[in-house]
Amino acid sequence: MSWNRVAVVGAGLLPFGELFDRSYEQLASGAFQAALGAVDHGMAKEDIDAIIVSTQRGTLWGQEGIGGNTIPSAIGLNGVACTRIENACPSGADAFRIGAMAVASGVHDVVLVIGVEKMRDKSSREGLLARAASGHPIYNRGETAPVLFAPFATRHMHEFGTTREMLGAVAVKNHHNGSLDPYAHFQDGLSMERYLGGVTVCDPLTLFDCCPQTDGAAAVLLASPERAADYTDKPVWVAGFGVATDHPSLHEKQSFVELAATVGAAKRAYTMAGIGPGDIDMAEVHDCFTITEILDIEDLGFFDKGKGGLAALNGETTLDGRLPINTSGGLLAKGHPIGATGIAQLTECWWQLRGEAQARQVEMRNGFALQHNVGGRGSGVSVVNILTNRP
Amino acid sequence: MNVSIVAVGPAAPARRVAVADIAAGWGESAGRGHVAVCDGDEDALTLAWTAARRALAAADLDGDDVDGLWWGTAHPPFLQGPNLAYLAAALGMREGIEGALLAGARTSGMEALFVAWDAVAAGSVDRALVVASDVANAGLGTADERQVGAGAVALVLRLGDDGPAVLTRRSSLTRPHLDRYRGPGDAAVREAYDGRLHREEVFLPALKALGGALAAGGEVPADGLRWSLPDPDGRLGRLLGKALGAGEVASAGVRTALGDAGAAAGLLGLAACLDAPGEVVALDQGSGRAVGVAVSVRSAVPGAADVAALGDGLRDTTYAEVLRARGRLVADTDPIDMAVPPGGAGFVRGNVELLGLHGAACADCGTISTPPSVHPTCIGCGGDNLAEVGLERTGTIHTFVVNATMPAPFEAPLPLLVVDLDDGARLMVQGTAATVGLGIGDRVELVLRRYAVERGASIYGHKAAPPSTVVLDRVADAKTGAHP
Repeated sequence: MSWNRVAVVGAGLLPFGELFDRSYEQLASGAFQAALGAVDHGMAKEDIDAIIVSTQRGTLWGQEGIGGNTIPSAIGLNGVACTRIENACPSGADAFRIGAMAVASGVHDVVLVIGVEKMRDKSSREGLLARAASGHPIYNRGETAPVLFAPFATRHMHEFGTTREMLGAVAVKNHHNGSLDPYAHFQDGLSMERYLGGVTVCDPLTLFDCCPQTDGAAAVLLASPERAADYTDKPVWVAGFGVATDHPSLHEKQSFVELAATVGAAKRAYTMAGIGPGDIDMAEVHDCFTITEILDIEDLGFFDKGKGGLAALNGETTLDGRLPINTSGGLLAKGHPIGATGIAQLTECWWQLRGEAQARQVEMRNGFALQHNVGGRGSGVSVVNILTNRP
Repeated sequence: MNVSIVAVGPAAPARRVAVADIAAGWGESAGRGHVAVCDGDEDALTLAWTAARRALAAADLDGDDVDGLWWGTAHPPFLQGPNLAYLAAALGMREGIEGALLAGARTSGMEALFVAWDAVAAGSVDRALVVASDVANAGLGTADERQVGAGAVALVLRLGDDGPAVLTRRSSLTRPHLDRYRGPGDAAVREAYDGRLHREEVFLPALKALGGALAAGGEVPADGLRWSLPDPDGRLGRLLGKALGAGEVASAGVRTALGDAGAAAGLLGLAACLDAPGEVVALDQGSGRAVGVAVSVRSAVPGAADVAALGDGLRDTTYAEVLRARGRLVADTDPIDMAVPPGGAGFVRGNVELLGLHGAACADCGTISTPPSVHPTCIGCGGDNLAEVGLERTGTIHTFVVNATMPAPFEAPLPLLVVDLDDGARLMVQGTAATVGLGIGDRVELVLRRYAVERGASIYGHKAAPPSTVVLDRVADAKTGAHP
């Protein structure tokens, strides 16, 4: 794939939160309308050739066998081709990649990529916490989501002297960014004092080290270069992407200070885009927990291994820092409706590249934004997408 | 031909609760001493496993060196189910072993010794493993609740009269008396109906007759023998000793340390008598049977000194923790079921590798992938030249967490540890309660524990625990060849 084959011509989302009053279908329809409404010159919905939908876990709202066919009818596109992608926490990011490939191949001209997740229709106990009893009955027993990342915090602290204050700097920064984002689940900000007083969730992680459980939906519209001109004079282009896998269980990890899937996905995305980490102006990375962001910014090549915590503490990743990270508030403040998360991150990158991020706008010197997710039971898969505003 | 005891292994839970704390729970201030109590992940099977592992280590044997397994307990985890099969698999024993579970009586432990003794004497097996284990299960608020403890002991038997100790005589009396019992649906063992009736008409008459006969069958007078005597209420043991004219009651120490260990008490007391040369008589009584055995000890039996090393344990356990661990204080919330049903294909496929702690070793790069059934190829090199191996059980903590937020039936704090085993395999397992506070680089050993009880079925796997000096010393000795 060469440059500029796929344009992002529209993107949008609904404000994230505990959306008890809206159904899965209503969320999908709202996100679709938001993306459609963001197309500069407008788009007829009949232009859409195909839909890629990302929903990670229908069981969280009672739908065991959810498939791609749920969405077209809900958003007024009955009959349109639709396929569901499930690839753990990077589901949304991977749906975007698959949608981009569908356009790049020439099979489709206009593709809707939409991510929808209902995380709060069931109680926490029967929702995400219930994973403590899932997977291998012995070797995975007791693994709630924080267990998948807390061992990395323990080891990162041991090897590099990473401190609670460094983890806290990530949380405080992302909650500050969230306070500037009208789409964020949490918009109240967070003081270091309040962070340090958080109750223990999974030692060494405490309350504000963890992202919330959030309902949400987000959508982007992709178009071929030929069609993109009809929709916008200010397109954002897909510069590159990469996917990599790693062994799925924690005990199979070689390292507890690095996520190998992220390293692999980033390498492929940079190679495809023909750039390096130094060319990135801002990044939306997977901060399901504070330690995850520290691992990410090292594994993506932004900071040396072991220096991610210090970079956060020194303010190098704030909105006016050397490399702004998670300007939207990240998963920690904006929320993590799994299937929608990656697409919402891409929407933030789209706004930043178009100069539309309002109070969160950062300087885009090189014109490259990076989006990243990592997930699976033991961070077994990562997806990196790189967008650019360069013609 | 006579049968020898070549090694023993004792085991007990680490926790102790003060009898005064139990009494205080019922508004009373009486009570002295401590009794052993299980954690929520321990039961008669996990205690039996620990004792058996220690006895095998003391004998310098592996599980597959033994031809038969006889296990006696009054509290098997399944009233009907694969009790013996789970224990045998967790010990790495062969599928073709002889053996049986003896259950349903206080005397089941001693009876397991009798049956194994006959099997060895008859030539059915060359080497037999006898295990007795039991867990406290007295009614709430009863006097017995302040007496019962928990413990286990295993003995390795083989044919011949040249071992350190030789089984010489045995005897039993069978009388249709109801004392302590548990009926269908009973949550706990009921107390004797009348203490004086039990003492005067059941306990003392049977044991005086049995003990007297066993003593008379030998050449050493009663006051020159070492005795193991039952003591269900903390007083009857002393009375019985006096009535028999007994010399040293060598079982008194372990009774004080653990409380009355039920079906394990008889053989635990016997094991306490095997640490020095002499003539021994061990008795037990209950459930309509009085049973006894005479043993001639030539030299200290390997492992016997470890009975005294069971020690005082951890004494900070509260009565509420005891009740929760025993399943008598249960949260009224709907528990989350595990994704793999206990009787489902996942366990049918995986139980041998889980209970036996197996890995898949790569002949090409040496990496060990665990468990084998989900690793058809090597996690190190991707090759498929794999052989199933037993994993080392000792290792070092690489990293860890302590989970504080989980739904029922989980209980916080729950440690989860990534352990680098000494054979190079890496595992992530739960830690026992005693691993809270351990850190990176600390040594642990893997022990069999109960991970869950679901649909009435106990689910077992291995957990990391602080290393037991008893076991680690034996392993180190065996490797250097220092052990006799």
